[in-house]
Amino acid sequence: MNIEVIDHKGKKVLTLSGEIDMYSSPELREELMGILIKKVPALYIDFGKVSYIDSSGIATFVEGLKYVKSYGGRLQFFSIPGGIMDIFKFSKLDRVFEIYGNLDDAINS
Amino acid sequence: MKDSLKISFSSHPKYLSVVRMVTAKIAEQCGFEKKIVEEIRLAVDEACANVIKHAYKGDTSKEIVLEYTNTEKEFTVILEDKGTKADIRSIKGRDLEKVRPGGLGVHFIRRVFDVFEYDEKRTEGNRLVLRKYLGSEQ
Repeated sequence: MNIEVIDHKGKKVLTLSGEIDMYSSPELREELMGILIKKVPALYIDFGKVSYIDSSGIATFVEGLKYVKSYGGRLQFFSIPGGIMDIFKFSKLDRVFEIYGNLDDAINS
Repeated sequence: MKDSLKISFSSHPKYLSVVRMVTAKIAEQCGFEKKIVEEIRLAVDEACANVIKHAYKGDTSKEIVLEYTNTEKEFTVILEDKGTKADIRSIKGRDLEKVRPGGLGVHFIRRVFDVFEYDEKRTEGNRLVLRKYLGSEQ
């Protein structure tokens, strides 16, 4: 898994690629919580190049979502590949996470 | 005819990507469609992660043995470890309506496998049998 933090017109975007599993999710957690602890109003997560996610990766995002909600911020996902979306749907998390087709849709929401 | 493959690996999460690769290849060779291959890959990954987390409590130096068997009637994956015995009665996924971290792995396993069963006769370690009957969802 690779993580890139991009500043897009003043918005924080976390771009992920590769596989998110029990091995890589601690690194994701550190990066995610490291940004959220600063109480950013919104964090955009680019899933476009994510090829795999397991329950530990999902748990990391659920933890991030709970934290962001605690201070009234937003965690917004975009460009989720079909296979990853199936997992979110099966877990009923598609109803919980904010999911958008692309970054512009997320920003304009 | 019975067809099988057995692999053994250290209980380090870095090997899970290798396990996923092998699992997907085996499932593909058994003729499962892409979606089912992905579900089997995730299920076996979750089962191995559970062994690392619960049976070995994060110790990365222990052994996990995986055996895949394919017959005309079923596809079976057996996971063996020498760790702490699983408390079978406490194994249940979280209520999917309740959003909290964790508790999804068991749901991912049960989604694709028809049988999810610990060998209760085992006195040391665990032997988990995952079985998928062929012909239903291929």
